[in-house]
Amino acid sequence: MSANISFEEKLDKQAPAVFIMPAVLIVLFFSIFPLIVSLFIALSRLKFIKGGVQLKFIGWLNFKKLLFGSQQYHFLGKFDQLTAIGFIILGLFVLAMILWLFRYIKSKHFNFLGIVGRVVIASGLFFLLLITLINLTTPKGLPGTLVVTLIYVVLGVLIQFLIGLGLALLCVKKIKGRSFFRLVFFIPMMITPVGIAYLFRMLTDMSKGPFSPIIMWLGYEEASWAVIPWGARIAVMIGDAWQWIPFMFIVLLAGLESLSSEQKEAAIMDGAGGWEIFRDITWPTLLPVSATIVLIRLIEAFKIIDLPNVMTNGGPGIATESLSLHSYFNWRTLDLSGSAAVGYLLMIVAVFVCLSFVNLLKNKVDLAHK
Amino acid sequence: MWKILNKKKKYDDISYLEGSPIYLILGLWAFICLFPIYWVVITSFKEAYVVNDGPFYIPFVDFQPSLHAWEFVLMQESVNTLRPFYNTIIISIISALIAVFIGSMAGYALVRISYRPKIASIMCFLLLLAGSVFLIVKLKIDFRITLISSISIFVLFLLTLSRKFKSSLGNNDIGFWMISQRILPPVVVVIPIYIFFQQLGMLDTYPAMIITYVAINIPIVVWLMRDFFYNIPIDLEENAALDGASRFRIFTTIVLPLSKPGLSATFMLVLILCWNEYLLSLFISLTDTQTLPLMIASMNTTRGPQWWYMSVIIIIMIIPVTMVALFLYRFIVKGLLVGAIKG
Amino acid sequence: MKSINSLFSKVMILSLGIIFLLTPSVFSKKYDGVTVNILTMEAPQIKGPMVKRAPDFKKLTGANINVIGVPFSDIYPKMESDFATGTNSIDGAVFAPQWMVDFIEPGYFEDLTPRIKADAAIVWDDIGYFFRSFSSTYAGKVYTIPLDGDFHMIYYRTDLLEAAGIAPPTTWEEYTYIASRFHGQDMNGDGTPDYGSCISKKRNAQAYWMIHSIVGGFIQTKGTGQGVFFDTKTMKPLVNNAAFSRALDIYKETTKYAPADEINLDVGDTRGLWTSGRCALTLDWGDIGTLAIEKGSKVNGKTGASILPGSRLVLDRSSGELVPCNTARCPYAVNGVNHAPFAAFGGWSGAVNVSADSKVKDAAYDFFSFMAQAKQSNEDVTIGITGMNPYRVSQFESINNWTGAGFTKAAASNYLGAIKASLDSPNMILDLRVPKNQRYQQVVLDTEVHRFISGEISKEEAMERIEEGWEEITEEMGRDEQLSAYRNTLGY
Repeated sequence: MSANISFEEKLDKQAPAVFIMPAVLIVLFFSIFPLIVSLFIALSRLKFIKGGVQLKFIGWLNFKKLLFGSQQYHFLGKFDQLTAIGFIILGLFVLAMILWLFRYIKSKHFNFLGIVGRVVIASGLFFLLLITLINLTTPKGLPGTLVVTLIYVVLGVLIQFLIGLGLALLCVKKIKGRSFFRLVFFIPMMITPVGIAYLFRMLTDMSKGPFSPIIMWLGYEEASWAVIPWGARIAVMIGDAWQWIPFMFIVLLAGLESLSSEQKEAAIMDGAGGWEIFRDITWPTLLPVSATIVLIRLIEAFKIIDLPNVMTNGGPGIATESLSLHSYFNWRTLDLSGSAAVGYLLMIVAVFVCLSFVNLLKNKVDLAHK
Repeated sequence: MWKILNKKKKYDDISYLEGSPIYLILGLWAFICLFPIYWVVITSFKEAYVVNDGPFYIPFVDFQPSLHAWEFVLMQESVNTLRPFYNTIIISIISALIAVFIGSMAGYALVRISYRPKIASIMCFLLLLAGSVFLIVKLKIDFRITLISSISIFVLFLLTLSRKFKSSLGNNDIGFWMISQRILPPVVVVIPIYIFFQQLGMLDTYPAMIITYVAINIPIVVWLMRDFFYNIPIDLEENAALDGASRFRIFTTIVLPLSKPGLSATFMLVLILCWNEYLLSLFISLTDTQTLPLMIASMNTTRGPQWWYMSVIIIIMIIPVTMVALFLYRFIVKGLLVGAIKG
Repeated sequence: MKSINSLFSKVMILSLGIIFLLTPSVFSKKYDGVTVNILTMEAPQIKGPMVKRAPDFKKLTGANINVIGVPFSDIYPKMESDFATGTNSIDGAVFAPQWMVDFIEPGYFEDLTPRIKADAAIVWDDIGYFFRSFSSTYAGKVYTIPLDGDFHMIYYRTDLLEAAGIAPPTTWEEYTYIASRFHGQDMNGDGTPDYGSCISKKRNAQAYWMIHSIVGGFIQTKGTGQGVFFDTKTMKPLVNNAAFSRALDIYKETTKYAPADEINLDVGDTRGLWTSGRCALTLDWGDIGTLAIEKGSKVNGKTGASILPGSRLVLDRSSGELVPCNTARCPYAVNGVNHAPFAAFGGWSGAVNVSADSKVKDAAYDFFSFMAQAKQSNEDVTIGITGMNPYRVSQFESINNWTGAGFTKAAASNYLGAIKASLDSPNMILDLRVPKNQRYQQVVLDTEVHRFISGEISKEEAMERIEEGWEEITEEMGRDEQLSAYRNTLGY
């Protein structure tokens, strides 16, 4: 008897380690190990020889090629002189960042690390904004895979969130058939991404797709969405939205349902209007949830690959090619080092954007928690 | 205007008349959700030339439905379709179960136990890992020797020098590190994992697939379950501890049952992620462990996409997942509800 | 009684013993217990006929043929990783011979030359000259067995051209003229206007072969050995010159007479358009011929095939300008027009892994030989869904196979005639096979051509970028190695 107890006690002492070690070990191995190996590959040239692979260390060459060299147009896009609008937007952004930094300094708890962190975030965002503007608002600028990915991520997730929120707000009302709608809206999320990609390719086909009569009736049969860069991108985003809006919808709906009617009624008694109710009661409750799911979506959106691959194969030109697709194309022709280099850059950008997002919202979320 | 409308009834009650614009919008969205599925279903019943000739919408009215695609996929190619189907089911369910189990343990630990991993230890570990990889890949030293020596050095370090270093990270950092593992695109990770399993001679085996899927999905489980565990009142656990229950017992008998909703939701999500995974499966499997997404991609041949076969496979793929979702649905909504309040 | 019994039983035992001893030699087969893993595309094409015939092969030889399918775009990485990492779970592969140099150079493939010499059943000489001498060989040795003959032809609507009294196009100028002539007319009786030309131009699909079908006739004149991609002495890319410029113009012009989303159509889409009767002309592999006679096709009996159009002006490689054809420059010209049929992709062929067990290697070779033998192959090439197109001379000679499959006599003669003309041409273009050819064609050529055709960059810029991109890859791989590999593929 006593032997058993002490064994259990011993086990219990080890509990902290036992609980977390399996997860940590598995993740460590399967994530860090390939990460490091890929870093090696990205920094060298891979050649297949009999009996294995040959890695020739070439340093930053692969990255240089993407940032400055022959693949720059592919990754960063084509550059041109910034126009007036570009400068204005850039200026406004810089102003906003300065304000943000100022507010932080004026607040009670600031430290050196905090300032450095914020400056890094601000400059990184500035750089991304600059590239985006150069690519999109200038007459001869063309976006590379970096900006295309950012478009998918920022615009796509924003639209998905707004529509999901709208649908959730509508579904919270006690209308009949609510459960039916909830179930139906959940379905798109369950189809495999490759399947959705082919599905949308079918749907958007100009001659065989179900919408072609409408297109003909509208008189647009001479044009094709696949030929116009933005048309193609929007088509990809529509497919992505169709698949992921259910996710936003379900979670936001659950969050909304946790709000009791009494709070809202009390507010109405006090004379609040619909908008004020939303702003003061609904939104603060939703903020933490929204932050979580938007972050999840941001991370996954950076990896978008199946839709642009199947619908347009990255075309027209490179207008719909995301970073992940760029990496995949390289990999498919066995340019493993190029593929790893793009993958690393993708990771850096994604981590940066997600960290910025978390930091920008951290204060608001913490406030909401209280 | 709101005031007038809402004086007499509860805020969210709505009559049919007032609800009609809402019905319109919801109905529209339901149509948007369902129409593509309808299209897939009828395409699976179309002959090749019917698909090519242009859009036909209603079976028997617009076009003659035929079972040729279904027959092909389920009968002629049944060897090719049934085995991947079976593989997908087994691998996804087992991976999801294991991932949820291990991940929730970790998630629980992050919530209740305070970890302080020393930065120095982490740096040491990373350096040793990088060094081992370098030795194995570049200098071709046998991987068993390198691994054993690295591990011994690391343990030595932990026992002796690490006491000298004080600065450490906290739970939140561990949490963020775990989640950031999702950011890596699979393409970057595939070849190293392939080589790893190949060295162990485990390619095309169930364990290899399951371990991989577990590994890439643990981060999501940890993240989601962490949120759910926040909401369980700590008093329950403290009382049980006072009564002498071990941590493990508390976990299994009190915490887990209370988080059934969260567990179901997470299980569902991980199941879907494993079910639909393509790239890693392409690489690790050869014949024995092929999964269904590969079949869909295969239908895009050099002859162009075979829409009819593809539609059949898509439908086959949706059905089991839908059934599981329907079953767990009640849990899911409730589950997300519990987690959502606190975010 | 006892003695008879014992004699009887002795005789019984003896006979049983003899039968038992004889049985193995009578019933045991050459490859009993041998399993061969063959990797190929997961599709009804190519894999289908192999799976169908595997049981017959097993009956003959006892070998278990296990055909593994993966999505088309993943065959190459899968093969490479299997061989390079020493996994060797693949014993044989049926793949695009275009990739074979990437596997021959590191020594993954078995040299099949001695086996072919010893194999009477395969009737190697019956296989078209191009396929057995160029497509299957490297540095003079045979590494693959062709199971399919892939090259481009153009197809035209016989009914439309006959009614208008126009002959099928022999030059690209004629092609665009005919396309413009019929564009906008209703060609399938459904009341909607149809298209003059349907060519697949989708990125990362098959478009990068289409462009060389057009430019080939301008660049290669002196036979397959002259090559069309690089200069055989300096490895300079032949892409920034007057010929390529002209080809890009033609490529862009055909878009005018095509569906609005042509630059997003792959061959699956264009073939669908053809069989629904919506195109007057198209450029494609041999599949159109067999697809046209399938159930539901609107163009059965209206599909004509012809050798790739050529050109009267050809490239002078030293000056980079276009000059008119004469007997010296264009020894193989027909009526003053230089044709260069393009064996795009090369035709699915089987190769054997050098690291497999020797019995497995034998079995793999025998299976490929079995599939390629006239008895099996001549039937397979007449059926559209096999994905196999003709490559044996005997396949043209007997029209009965074709009419039996559903071709009208006229259609069969026309189709086979065009194929024969292409196969007989000494000026057939060998697809690019140097190591990393996928990067040259898919990553660089395909991307830049697509950017050009979607209006992102100009023609001059496209050509410059292709040249630059190709030179970069050549330098990276080692100019001398690439040049030597290129020359090896061309039979030098």
